[in-house]
Amino acid sequence: MSSTLTAPWNVRARVRRWLTSRLPRTDNQLLTQGNVYILPTRAGWMFALTLIVLLLASVNYQLNLGYVLTFLLAGSGIVSMHITHGTLRGVTLHLRPVAPAFAGSPAVLDIVMSSPTSPRFGIGLRMLEAPASTLAWTNVPAGGQATAHVSYVPPLRGLHDVPTLSAETRFPLGLFRAWTVWRPSARLLVYPEVEADAPALPAARPVASGATQARRSEGGEIEGVRAYRRGDPLKLIAWKKAAQALETGAELVSRDTSTSARQELWLDWAACTRLDPEQRLSRLAAWTLAADRADADYGLRLPGVEIDPGDGDAQRVRCLEALALWRS
Amino acid sequence: MNAATLAASTRRAMPRWPGWQRLPREARDTLFLLAVIAWTVLPHASHLPAWSLALTALVLLWRGRLALANAALPGRWVLVVVLITAIGLTFWSYRTLLGKEPGVTLAVSLMALKTLELRARRDAFVVFFLGFFIILTHFLYSQSMLVAIAMLVSVWGLLTALVLAHMPVGQPSLAQAGGLAARTAMLGAPVMALLFLLFPRVGPLWGVPQDGISKTGLSNTMKLGSMTEVARDDAVAMRIRFDGPAPTPSQMYFRGPVLTHFDGFEWTQLGLTFAPASLPARLPALQTSGTPLGYEVTLEPLRLASVPLLEATTEVAAIDGYRLVARDDLQWLADKPILERLRFKASANTSFVLGPPRRFGELQDSLELPVGFNPRTVIWARAFRDARRGASATRLADALLQHIRSDGFSYTLAPGDYGRNAIDEFWLDRKEGFCEHFAAAFVVILRAAGVPARVVTGYQGTDLPPVDGYYVVRQSSAHAWAEFWQTGTGWVRADPTGAVSPDRIGRSNRLAPPPGFVAGTLDAMNPRLFAQLRNAWEAVNNRWNQWVLNYSRGQQLDVLKQIGFDTPSWEDLALLLIGTLSGLALAGAVWAWLDRHRIDPWVRQLERMKRALRTIGVAAAPHEAPRTLAMRVRGKLGSTGETLAALLDALEARRYGRAAARRPDPAMTRDFTAETRRLRALAPR
Repeated sequence: MSSTLTAPWNVRARVRRWLTSRLPRTDNQLLTQGNVYILPTRAGWMFALTLIVLLLASVNYQLNLGYVLTFLLAGSGIVSMHITHGTLRGVTLHLRPVAPAFAGSPAVLDIVMSSPTSPRFGIGLRMLEAPASTLAWTNVPAGGQATAHVSYVPPLRGLHDVPTLSAETRFPLGLFRAWTVWRPSARLLVYPEVEADAPALPAARPVASGATQARRSEGGEIEGVRAYRRGDPLKLIAWKKAAQALETGAELVSRDTSTSARQELWLDWAACTRLDPEQRLSRLAAWTLAADRADADYGLRLPGVEIDPGDGDAQRVRCLEALALWRS
Repeated sequence: MNAATLAASTRRAMPRWPGWQRLPREARDTLFLLAVIAWTVLPHASHLPAWSLALTALVLLWRGRLALANAALPGRWVLVVVLITAIGLTFWSYRTLLGKEPGVTLAVSLMALKTLELRARRDAFVVFFLGFFIILTHFLYSQSMLVAIAMLVSVWGLLTALVLAHMPVGQPSLAQAGGLAARTAMLGAPVMALLFLLFPRVGPLWGVPQDGISKTGLSNTMKLGSMTEVARDDAVAMRIRFDGPAPTPSQMYFRGPVLTHFDGFEWTQLGLTFAPASLPARLPALQTSGTPLGYEVTLEPLRLASVPLLEATTEVAAIDGYRLVARDDLQWLADKPILERLRFKASANTSFVLGPPRRFGELQDSLELPVGFNPRTVIWARAFRDARRGASATRLADALLQHIRSDGFSYTLAPGDYGRNAIDEFWLDRKEGFCEHFAAAFVVILRAAGVPARVVTGYQGTDLPPVDGYYVVRQSSAHAWAEFWQTGTGWVRADPTGAVSPDRIGRSNRLAPPPGFVAGTLDAMNPRLFAQLRNAWEAVNNRWNQWVLNYSRGQQLDVLKQIGFDTPSWEDLALLLIGTLSGLALAGAVWAWLDRHRIDPWVRQLERMKRALRTIGVAAAPHEAPRTLAMRVRGKLGSTGETLAALLDALEARRYGRAAARRPDPAMTRDFTAETRRLRALAPR
């Protein structure tokens, strides 16, 4: 990340990082005088220049109405500074619990902003390091709440701190920019990047009958049916049921062999040869998702970690977590 | 083309109007900004060239059409071509790109063209800042109340557009944005008032082009035809308030530069046109009669060192920053051109005699005529004198005035151009002119007849009736008259213009415009109501003049005097301003420091209750809600804790319930701590 890329002579970035690192981490940030900063924008400096030109013209041409105009604009500018600062001051930022995400694809951070008193207009949220074009703009109603979504693409797997966020506003006149820097304390679990176009799942092997027995006693039904898939052999088609289904306009149905003869699938580190560790984890993540979609029973073997076969959401999460946190 | 095809093509040219409410946000905002720009530029319509108006209207309409159709903006090269054309046309119109009028024309064209380039936020800001600048340029032409109100609307419109640009979410209504802009400006008004009152008024920092506020006015020279522009300029030159009864209109001569030297084309002053400190005093030989009349002058910057004052002013109070001295020709000269509005006191005697010459050769200078100019007039003058052999100068002058009255002369502001021998043409051929023609011819004839004479310029007459006691002298009252030497008496004023146009002298010279439709109707319905309305309007207008337009250093120092400074100076003013601003900033800093430690009152109340709970042995974690605490109190203390539990429930209801209040109830905290204290006292040790 940028912290590792910063050159030692980039003093500005280092100072900024040091300042940021001093901020306390919290998921609930009340913005006060102490953590809202404000500076004139480029337009604000332009405005000041305009005021100087107007003042010079008023002095030189002895225009009392020119003075009135200049001072009215100056007064409005000063008031706008207070309004800009007041737009952020008193707002509470709260980060909703963050769902795990895959490395390389966007994770969405939901931030709830609440204003106990007045309505707030034009508050933008973004990651501190992200460009200004990624600002997510929100209005907060008086005494109410509003949610902003900031998307973040985590580059690496693992358990990471949620990136430092920044909220800013230029309301009402754009002459000043008030901003705050917020370090949420939540952590974000990042699964490995899913390998694109991963090879097909490795072959499954039949299981010992014990597992099937257990399953039978659980499910009660020995044979199930499922929708016809291309490539199902003819003998697998449940013709009686298929006839009924076709009458009602549904698809062909096949016998579901997975229940009749349980097979189990091992997603094995050792099966991904000739790949470096992160690529292996990516492939295993892709396989985990594929196996989950195929509704298969699958287990995961990593050096030092073995997860017994299973299926369902819990199994998927268990496997992905193991992949996310695995260390050699 | 018949009506149907015309309608069809119009429909094709202009996208359908969906209704203000249903416009997409961006189109609506753009149209609003265009309307504000049009409103801002509109008052310039009377002094912009026609092409500039047409260009601006066309560009604004085009941009509006693009906004409605949500079409792409034109490419940059189109703008460059139009811009170059506009600059070329400006040069063609004015023969220069510098100065007020070309500047305004260019600014308006730039602003219109910039609307075609509203791509980034930066472009929008350029439009806003150009808009504020154009608003200022209006004040170069007029600072009337009407213009001020129109420009206030413009400022408000521009601020509203700015606010709209910074509300990126949703579809905020114009009323909402307008309200926010108005609130911002209103909160800024005290700052404006403070700065306006206390910002030290200084003179111009550098010489501004002559076409400043008073592009016309008196000058140190006179050329035939040069005063026509002055005569059409309605700007105020000065305002006079008399301490006693005002002089009659025919006594209201305000003496400015005295022009003695004539080179055939131009009349100029003899000697210095300003009074450096080293100039030896040479007071006029003045004999006055009657009691002096005190008066107060508010003088607009005339950009002259010669100060036009009532004839014959004997005393002028000291003016901060200037040194005024009287010269032997009864001119009051300052040490430098007056570039700021001044207010001062003076006193004058309207009956006076400007006695024997103080300077050797003064009379000789007043007899010289350029050789080879106006030969026919010189011959005419000698014949005129020879016909009245032995007549005194006064008799000759009277006869000349009689000649003007009877020989078909007419007074007009548009006499056309005169050639090399202008006096010949005027006096003998065309007989049409205004004050400067009459005065110049009169002086030339008297000189040719051997009577010392000179031209005096200044102002004659005031607006009538006075408003709130102020007599307003306008540039259009600029005047030129003659003075001749009567042996045994001194310099005698003669106003040949009065001979041809007595109205010009007897009262205010300008023709009253015919009353407008509304005024006419009102007058017919209820003359008294109309008079009252007019009086009220004039009184308001005068307050405006006195408090806004004429607010200058003198008034600033008066304000300081009123708040307790004994001998205020502009340094006091600057110190007071800096002091007030620093005080305000310090107050803001203190408030910010206090605010930094401010805790939400709800949080503070709950904190105090939790502290009280802990003293009686009930655990209360920082994150726990009142309801949780109430349950714990009931579980732990049972019926003894019921009061506390009820209070916690009441707090929950007050903060989060259906009828939630905005602020916590301090009585609740008091009851709660009192109850815990009671329980603590009861508890067995």
